Amino acid sequence: MMPAIYLEAIVLTLGVLLVLMEAFSNSEEKTPVAWLGIVGLTFVFILTFFTANDLSASPYSAFYHADFRAIFFKRFALLTTIVVLVLSIEYRGVVQKYVFGSRPQAGLGEFYALPVFTCAGLMWMASAVDFIMIFVSLELVTISFYILVAYMRRNAGSLEAGVKYLILSALSTGFFVYGITWIYGVTGQTSLEKIGAILLGLKVSHGPLLFGFMLVLTGLGFKIACAPFQIWVPDVYQGAPTPVTAFLSVGSKAAGFIVLMRVAEVFLPVPWINHKAVTILVALAALSLLYGNLAAMPQHNLKRLMAYSSIAHAGYILIAVACIGSRYANIAVSFYLAGYLLMTLLTFLVMAAVANQAGGDDIVHFNGLGKRSPYLAFAMLAAMASLAGIPLTVGFFGKFLIFYVAYEKGQFLLMGIGVLTVAAGFYYYFKVVRAMYWKEPADDTPVRTSPLTGATIAALAFCIFFLGVYPAPVIRALEGPPSDNPRLLAR
Amino acid sequence: MSSLLPWLFSAIMLGFACAVVLNRNPVASALSLVVSFLALAGLYVSLNAFFIGVIQVLVYAGAIMVLFLFIIMLLDLKAEERRTLNTTATLGGLLVAAIFVCELFSVLRHFHKGSLPFPPLAAGPLDDVRGVGTMLFSNYNLPFQVIGALILVATVGVVVLSKRELK
Repeated sequence: MMPAIYLEAIVLTLGVLLVLMEAFSNSEEKTPVAWLGIVGLTFVFILTFFTANDLSASPYSAFYHADFRAIFFKRFALLTTIVVLVLSIEYRGVVQKYVFGSRPQAGLGEFYALPVFTCAGLMWMASAVDFIMIFVSLELVTISFYILVAYMRRNAGSLEAGVKYLILSALSTGFFVYGITWIYGVTGQTSLEKIGAILLGLKVSHGPLLFGFMLVLTGLGFKIACAPFQIWVPDVYQGAPTPVTAFLSVGSKAAGFIVLMRVAEVFLPVPWINHKAVTILVALAALSLLYGNLAAMPQHNLKRLMAYSSIAHAGYILIAVACIGSRYANIAVSFYLAGYLLMTLLTFLVMAAVANQAGGDDIVHFNGLGKRSPYLAFAMLAAMASLAGIPLTVGFFGKFLIFYVAYEKGQFLLMGIGVLTVAAGFYYYFKVVRAMYWKEPADDTPVRTSPLTGATIAALAFCIFFLGVYPAPVIRALEGPPSDNPRLLAR
Repeated sequence: MSSLLPWLFSAIMLGFACAVVLNRNPVASALSLVVSFLALAGLYVSLNAFFIGVIQVLVYAGAIMVLFLFIIMLLDLKAEERRTLNTTATLGGLLVAAIFVCELFSVLRHFHKGSLPFPPLAAGPLDDVRGVGTMLFSNYNLPFQVIGALILVATVGVVVLSKRELK
């Protein structure tokens, strides 16, 4: 059994290797960089099944825990990055067009290498149990996103998105760090475990701690893209290169949520924080649900629609975060994110393939896709059905778990808003389905995809249905060994 | 006398920080920021944190500010001075800042002073460079390594985003 901390080291080495390969090889062809990245990350993904879960003896255990949830989110980050690299290969034509270069494929090598570093940051975040470690790995992720969002320098949209993301993200990081200093000032600790122990004691000042916690929540609210910290989302999602948008909406959100869960699990059990913090979380969830779902309805651009849908999904997951203390809150959040990964990445893969041919990613460009390439249209149908939460898809089971947790904790207001907004979701997700099957195509040429993209689309679509019918494998990976947790499956 | 110094440094720091925001000329803003950083360094020194004080001067007041000034030289200064204020945005910003300050005061009012005092410093000369170094390379080794990765990514990013023509 290998210590889990080697996983990040291997990913980081792979990233450095890719950068060196890009810098020193004379080859005009950059796709091998992406291929090496995909193969390397797949290898690390397999390694996660052979890592030791216990790290109590390690000198790093103050910063780094490799519990079941952490390993689960490491796999999550690796899978996301692999699909993002596949997506980047599919999308390379567009990036090429908007980068200043002396050779046709100039600049693509770094475009393939940077996501690997982001992946290492996401994996560190999954394990971080100390505010310093959380902050440092969060910054690694954020800085690589600054670069990736603004990557297409000759495209005004990408630059605008880059500047907006840079300024608002730096502001939110400021809030986050300011919150940490308040918490440190009161408790004298940065380790979550030790802060938890001090919080349960009697001699702490309440006001400053709550203030710090709220500031941290503000910073994280930006990362998970929940209302009212959502102002950056639509423009950045639309302007960034499509693979980066996919990465932002899945990777950044998941990492934000795991940190939020770890922080909330320390603060929420404290009686005098609990009711205040839960009120705030309920308000955030309700706002995100309403804003995301209602604002998504009039959208014509699919990328923008996915941006608002991403805000709405943050709202659904926040329902479960507000219910921390329920036995399955943890599992509900992680399972929902796993489902969100599958359906969002599938949507972006199909979108990239269609946009390559049609020259744009408005919903109009999907007109008649059912006739042009029935296979892609069916994959998109699966993704949209799952995002809307139709039974037999993974999205349904995720929402079911979330509502079950809310029911158990008596959050009936959130349940009500949740169910109503799901209905709103049907409307705008099925706008895409309607365009694909009920509208006449502008031209009849089928959309071509590379075999790799085709295989990835098939795998993701299969997982959506498979986990929608039989979610046990994911839930078992989250529950850990039988003695650890109350078991959902055993019931 | 020594109890007055922190107040003096704080006053200089805050005054010049306001000047950074209020000045319409970017060069004046940047130079006010230098003074603000120097006062902050003085504050660190008055707290016996000599190493951090020196680093504050070297890194922030030195390196980063020089970079700032270089960037400002590349901008069109006249355009910046001609820009008019957006009333709604200014009022909105002031409102948010006022709410934040009120909240800060209400929090500080309930702060129990000295509820968790720091342990007293050891007598004799303070070996803080060695202390910081030892902490960084032993206890905080893992976050330190992650920062290494972060700086590598930032370097790659600067090259990719600013090079005239990529190869």
